[in-house]
Amino acid sequence: MLRGILSLLIFPGLAFQVLCGLIFEWIDRKLLARFQRRVGPPWYQPAADLVKLFSKEDLMPEGVYDLVEVLLPLISLSAVLTAGLYIPIAGFTSFSFEGDLIVIQFLMSVPTLAYYLAGIASVGIYSFLGGGRSILQYFSYEVPLLIAISGPAVMAGSWSVAQISQAQLGMGPFVIFQPLGFILAVVGLIGKLKRDPLDIPSASTEVVGGSLTEFSGAKLGFWQLTMNVQAVVGIFLLVNLYLGWLNFTAPLVVVGIFLLECLLMVLVLSGASAIFARLRIDQLAGLGWKILVPLSLLQLGFVILMGV
Amino acid sequence: MVDEIQIDALLAKIADETGCQLERYSGILNEEAIIIPADQLRAAIGVLQTDFDCFHLSTITAQQRETHPGEIELLYQFWHGQGFALLLRLPIPAPEVTSIIDLIPGADFYEREVAEMFGVTFTGRAETPRLLLPGDWDQGPPFIRSEETDE
Amino acid sequence: MNKISIPIGPHHPLLKEPLSMRIDISGERVLGGTLRLGYVHRGIEKMAQQRTYIQDVHLIERICGICSHVHTSTFCLAVEKLLEIEVPPRGQYIRALLCELERVHSHLLWLGILAKHVGLDTVFMHTWHDRELALDIMEGISGGRVSHAANQIGGMRFDLSPEQEELVRLNVEKLKSQVNGVLDVIENEPALRARTQGVAPVSADMIRAYCVVGPVARASGVDVDMRRDDPWPPYDQLDVRVITRPEGDAFARTLIRVLETRESLRLCEVLLENMPDGPVAVRSPRKVPAGEVVTRSEAPRGEVLYYLRSDGSDKPARVKVRTPTLAVLSLLPEQLSAIHVADIPVVLAGIDLCIACADR
Repeated sequence: MLRGILSLLIFPGLAFQVLCGLIFEWIDRKLLARFQRRVGPPWYQPAADLVKLFSKEDLMPEGVYDLVEVLLPLISLSAVLTAGLYIPIAGFTSFSFEGDLIVIQFLMSVPTLAYYLAGIASVGIYSFLGGGRSILQYFSYEVPLLIAISGPAVMAGSWSVAQISQAQLGMGPFVIFQPLGFILAVVGLIGKLKRDPLDIPSASTEVVGGSLTEFSGAKLGFWQLTMNVQAVVGIFLLVNLYLGWLNFTAPLVVVGIFLLECLLMVLVLSGASAIFARLRIDQLAGLGWKILVPLSLLQLGFVILMGV
Repeated sequence: MVDEIQIDALLAKIADETGCQLERYSGILNEEAIIIPADQLRAAIGVLQTDFDCFHLSTITAQQRETHPGEIELLYQFWHGQGFALLLRLPIPAPEVTSIIDLIPGADFYEREVAEMFGVTFTGRAETPRLLLPGDWDQGPPFIRSEETDE
Repeated sequence: MNKISIPIGPHHPLLKEPLSMRIDISGERVLGGTLRLGYVHRGIEKMAQQRTYIQDVHLIERICGICSHVHTSTFCLAVEKLLEIEVPPRGQYIRALLCELERVHSHLLWLGILAKHVGLDTVFMHTWHDRELALDIMEGISGGRVSHAANQIGGMRFDLSPEQEELVRLNVEKLKSQVNGVLDVIENEPALRARTQGVAPVSADMIRAYCVVGPVARASGVDVDMRRDDPWPPYDQLDVRVITRPEGDAFARTLIRVLETRESLRLCEVLLENMPDGPVAVRSPRKVPAGEVVTRSEAPRGEVLYYLRSDGSDKPARVKVRTPTLAVLSLLPEQLSAIHVADIPVVLAGIDLCIACADR
């Protein structure tokens, strides 16, 4: 019982994931700043931003459903936190069952749906536009992402993240066999996190703040936390699915390698936002259905053929 | 780059077209101008466009001269290899001139500005919605001199 | 889908200055829009009539926060014509040098804003980093980064010392090599091209109908440039290459600015190389003889026109300023149709808005 509560609240639950989220956000911002010839924020800036958000006045626009506005960020945050529980961290598994990959995928989609609902439940026109865009974007990246991450599952013969991670100890990292799938999964993750260059739903020069335009104070803080934790879970997930290299006995080395892989993922994400311009929604839909989906099917077919 | 427009030829052609006696205005130091009766503006611009291939209206400058407080002067300033202008004089109680935005769509903002600042009515166009002045401005056109505001 | 109307401005992350647009959209398609100016209308034309010519030079510098120098140059030129005085060659050259540096700084600023608008923040940061050097050069010349207070009626308010001249020469060279890298990126970056190529094309006929000026006109193949067409000295001694592109889309508008930045830097070098010796200003009387005059110059955004009428006193009787933004802005409602919502920033950026200029 106590162990359960501890794993919910401390590791690998709330505290650990939020901490990782803040650290990753700082590294990301610092890297991006260096790419852009800026200095970048000090290490405590993400935490300071959150503290500031939570201490700000929480405004509720007239005409919105209060309960919905409050619940949406909380539901999203709990969904991504729950998803995080099923992902092994440096080989350490807290909860696992056959098929948890599907559950993680589902839980990771909850923030997107909540984001959409927040948009259409809001009275603001920019939120409405942002919400509509988020669901359009969801349809463009989600299908190739799902097909791509079923590659490792097929290869490992299991739909449990822990099992897939274990399978790589014997077979070697899956990224070697499925480089294409890995790239597609990264693109899907960028779309899921609504990060530049796929920040179409929240593009500030087009739709101001997207669905979150009317949010403020603690509610916006919870949204920010959701994004941070979602990034952490997504990075952990891809590291477990594609980057193995954990077959060492010394636990410190394993943790070190895991951390290194996570940092590599952060670098990839910041690099992508530094060098690509934002796509238009029609360009993304075209990219998703005309290029990413066929490529992901190709990768999956290749994996299945290899298994036979 | 376009060749310089021949003002004499232009003057003759407009006079020919409208049947009016036209005068040149030589007040501007470095540019030519032709005085046009207000009701012949559209005809003159038609000549400019069809016979001289001149399309570029730089701006419409309005002013109320101290020496002629009873009229508003509109300078339609063109550019065609060199600057030149068509000069219109409108009587003050109700300055009115036909709009040219169907001939030169780019004149829209200039007409609206003149309408706001000098109270000139442009006929033949839908309306001149406020462009520069605040929506609740109710003190009349700011550039018009009146007895009270004169120092 | 139903038609909805979205407000852009007077406060919007897209806008650096207040402007109000209402844009009708249906889904992700834009149907049309209307425009309202005046949020920074300061009545400078009217104020100029109540001040002396000497005060007006400084007032007119406040019309624009980017191309302040070209405004005062054009105004001073008008007054100088009425006074029948001529600026000494050295004064003319320094005046033109600042104009060209201002164009470099304005175009770099614009390229950065375009990159920002399409979500390419890296290019935005790098362009603005290089722009800092352009500002530093101008600061080295005049002491001011944006408002130079360099012009006076009859010439320039200060001379360049030999050391200053050398420093400017070195820095222009440095800026040239530095800026080439980022300009190359902008010219060849596929992501930027994907967002701008073919977006909101404007035909040359449209440009003529709407009396559009400056880089936007040149991007549609209309060959106008007041530096060549109506040159004031020393532009009549310079061989200004006018750059045009036939396409007329947002990408052409980007390329025009890239190429013009290079051309302006070249002109800076030519000006510095041929900088004559001698005085920079002549004395001017306070009262200006009665008369009317029209002067035009090429601001970074296109033709700027000053109409000046003097009644013989020390205050102008009428100052009319036609800024290029007002001319280009009339095209905007026309451009805002049949595009994507995501293209609104690109279209707006293409115009190179300077609302303070347009409002005066």
